[in-house]
Amino acid sequence: MSDKPARAIKLNVLNEPKDSYTGGPSSLCPGCGHDQISSVIINAAWENGIEPHRIAKMSGIGCSSKTPAYYLGQSHGFNTVHGRMPSVTTGAYAINKDLLYLGVSGDGDSASIGIGQLIHAIRRNMDMVYVLENNGVYGLTKGQYSATADVGSKKKKGAVNETQPIDLCALAINLGCTFVARSFSGSKKQLTSLIKAAMSHKGFALIDVISPCVTFNNNDESMRSYGYVKENEITLHMADYIPHFNPVEEIEVPEGHFRDITLHDGSTIRLETISEEHDPADAMAALTALHEAETTKKHVTGLLYFDPTKPSLAEDLGLVEQPLIDVPDEVLRPSKASLDALNAEFLA
Amino acid sequence: MDRIINDFTINIATANGTGSQSANLILLQSLFEMGVPVSGKNLFPSNISGLPTWYIVRLSDRGYQAPGDRTHIQVLVNPATWEEDLAALEPGSVVIWNSDTKKKTVDRDDIISYPVPMSSLARKINPKIAKLVTNIIYVGVLAELLDIDQDCLESAVAKQFKGKDTAIELNITALGLGRDYCKEHLAKEDPYGAEKRTVEKPQFFIEGNEAAALGAHYGGAQLLAWYPITPSSSLAENIINYIPRLRTDEEGNATCAVIQAEDELAAAGMVLGAGWAGGRGMTATSGPGISLMQEFIGLAYFAEIPSVFWDVTRVGPSTGLPTRTQQSDIAMLYEGSHGDTQHIVLMPGTVEECFEFGWRAFDYTERFQTPVFGMSDLDLGMNRWACDGFTYPDIPMDRGKVVREKDVFEAFETFGRYLDVDGDGIPYRTLPGSGMAPILYRGTGHNPMGVYSEKPEDYFNLMARLKMKIENARDQLPAPILREEEECEVGIIFLGSMENSIQEIDDILEDTGMKVSQCRVRALPLHSEVEEFIRRHEVVIVLEINRDGQLYGILRRELPNELVTKVHSVAYSDGMPPRARIYAERILATLEEVKQ
Repeated sequence: MSDKPARAIKLNVLNEPKDSYTGGPSSLCPGCGHDQISSVIINAAWENGIEPHRIAKMSGIGCSSKTPAYYLGQSHGFNTVHGRMPSVTTGAYAINKDLLYLGVSGDGDSASIGIGQLIHAIRRNMDMVYVLENNGVYGLTKGQYSATADVGSKKKKGAVNETQPIDLCALAINLGCTFVARSFSGSKKQLTSLIKAAMSHKGFALIDVISPCVTFNNNDESMRSYGYVKENEITLHMADYIPHFNPVEEIEVPEGHFRDITLHDGSTIRLETISEEHDPADAMAALTALHEAETTKKHVTGLLYFDPTKPSLAEDLGLVEQPLIDVPDEVLRPSKASLDALNAEFLA
Repeated sequence: MDRIINDFTINIATANGTGSQSANLILLQSLFEMGVPVSGKNLFPSNISGLPTWYIVRLSDRGYQAPGDRTHIQVLVNPATWEEDLAALEPGSVVIWNSDTKKKTVDRDDIISYPVPMSSLARKINPKIAKLVTNIIYVGVLAELLDIDQDCLESAVAKQFKGKDTAIELNITALGLGRDYCKEHLAKEDPYGAEKRTVEKPQFFIEGNEAAALGAHYGGAQLLAWYPITPSSSLAENIINYIPRLRTDEEGNATCAVIQAEDELAAAGMVLGAGWAGGRGMTATSGPGISLMQEFIGLAYFAEIPSVFWDVTRVGPSTGLPTRTQQSDIAMLYEGSHGDTQHIVLMPGTVEECFEFGWRAFDYTERFQTPVFGMSDLDLGMNRWACDGFTYPDIPMDRGKVVREKDVFEAFETFGRYLDVDGDGIPYRTLPGSGMAPILYRGTGHNPMGVYSEKPEDYFNLMARLKMKIENARDQLPAPILREEEECEVGIIFLGSMENSIQEIDDILEDTGMKVSQCRVRALPLHSEVEEFIRRHEVVIVLEINRDGQLYGILRRELPNELVTKVHSVAYSDGMPPRARIYAERILATLEEVKQ
């Protein structure tokens, strides 16, 4: 017997260790914001007590889209094609609506080549978590500006960007997206709460995460460098996530004002007011906050907009209760009698 | 004057969007109900309303279904094409024309002219819908002139306006007005007539797209993801229309999802998502849509995702002639996407096969874990064809090598998503949500375990296995339909909707004294019987409705060298459904060249 005392292993509500939620080693640049997000995803899924095999990891193409290999090794995943992850996810969802679809995308993937698919997935209120790892540059092709690069920002090499960026949060709010948040890969606590809340949401949850590219866009003149974001982040509120399986009484009640928002699975996201109170039900307030941040060259983070009332794609499809994947072949194929009847009617 | 019975062609010139389609379908259906072998072709513009449309009805006791070489009876209703249509007629032809058409007349004395004041007759019934009724008036005139049975006519009207009593009554009245006008004012001078025939086997008319849609349902389709495009929209719409009847439970909940995608790329992505999740997903599109789907087609091939794509082809390239027919996507489907690829393509030639391949496509895609294409065309898909009835699938659904149970999974010594356990090139897969052997599917290089790899041997072996997998499919796919002459003189290889013209082509060729065998191929990669057919015949023509001889190109590359010289291409396309004489003459010219 060893003399060492037994090491305490933390288990989640399913009695699973965190190891059940990890993935392979990352091949991204050391210090990449995306790796921080991967670790947040691992924590969020573990702490939320989601069975790993019930998660589907979806991605497109780019640095961000490689990350599903680095988390949730016990989940099936699909690293699809550039900008088209939403459609593949939609098709998979139609067949198996019981999985938790966790999409990861980048700003090249989502703001340029795949902006159409992103828009239409939002429009359908496709039931998924969409984590956008947003660094303003294309990494794998070595540092070209993306469509989210801020005006006046300058990457490591090349000229200052003068082209108007696409703010995907503003776009999503205008499209009626039912869960819109912005965060920063360096704000681990806020990001964890937001990702957990997104997992509890039924409908399209967009989390636009500023995730600095350490190789091509982390210089002082860049508005998406670690240094710049830390200095210029406007946090709308502190965010705490209270899972439905945890009695609320155990959670420390913060001082000052807070707003509790109940999510579809009964969990709560608690938004603690910092200065002015932000009402996530108010789309105009969210758009104003985004606009003000842009004009003052800041980044606003938090749960910008939330609408639990809209039906998600599942309701629109009008399908049977059980996921289609579980419908037996004998039910999928109509009976011989039905074909005999059709033939007879055609002949009549 | 000798009467000409059941062997002539009627051409009806109208404008798009005036309701002429239902009148023409009533004419077609009433002849069909008389037992007359008849076919109808709709030549329509890419337009909602106003542009010229022609409908060709051919009566042929020999069963010829191609549009004939010439028009025998011309109906003139559309002023826009009046002079052109009139000038194209051969002497002795018949013209039935709307004498109310302003500034238009029929001034040829070498043809038989029947003026009918169609607009004024129509106005008598209801001035508000006179334009619609005008069309049914000419059907009444034709019925009287050709001696079409009144019961058959009324039954056709009832079918066309199923359950809409007012419409049925109005149309029957209008038909009567046409008939009566003809009786009272026109003396029959032409030789043409329709006569009842006894039909040995009862048949009905149906469009290929509706047949394929029904086939998809009997294949248990679980997702239709589509983007509207002519001429495939009615395939998708028929799938949707039959869901309440065939695919819903008592509460009205469906087992087939439908998503109208934002574009064809998204439609293809959804189909792949469905296949990845373990379901039966499909899309219906046309050539321009397939062009857009190329990237996903490559992913489906490389990551081995079941997926069904129906291509109801039209005239390309580019937007081309959206409402005309062509077989010009063969090469694109067979080798779709960049890199080395090869795909299974099912090519129905009849409405019965549209149904059959509709369900079989899912079995093949799941058995081989590769995209499967159904290739129909506008002619087969959007025109009505006689059908013997649909046959219920005689085998259970083939879901392929999917490991669903834990004990089955555990019996594998090593489980790798891309491990060729059985030596047939087809690996086993587990599904998302099962918790068994999860992998991250990818379009990048991967090893047999499904892990990212750029190793030369991994890439080489993967590509070799994929090739073997498709190669093995050859003789498991629908075999060609052979109609052979003992002499094995001239063999014609053809595909798809050419089925409807081939017998007429064959007869024209045989009139010159040669013996012609037929081989209709029904799938790519080509069945080994095709090579045997070529081996047996002295000279072989590959007949296609396109410019470049795409099927011929495939044969040339795949046939052994000694057979290549036997095979010759006759490829022609002008957008029209194949007219037998044009193709027969080109075959004769090619055979003549071969002899020299």
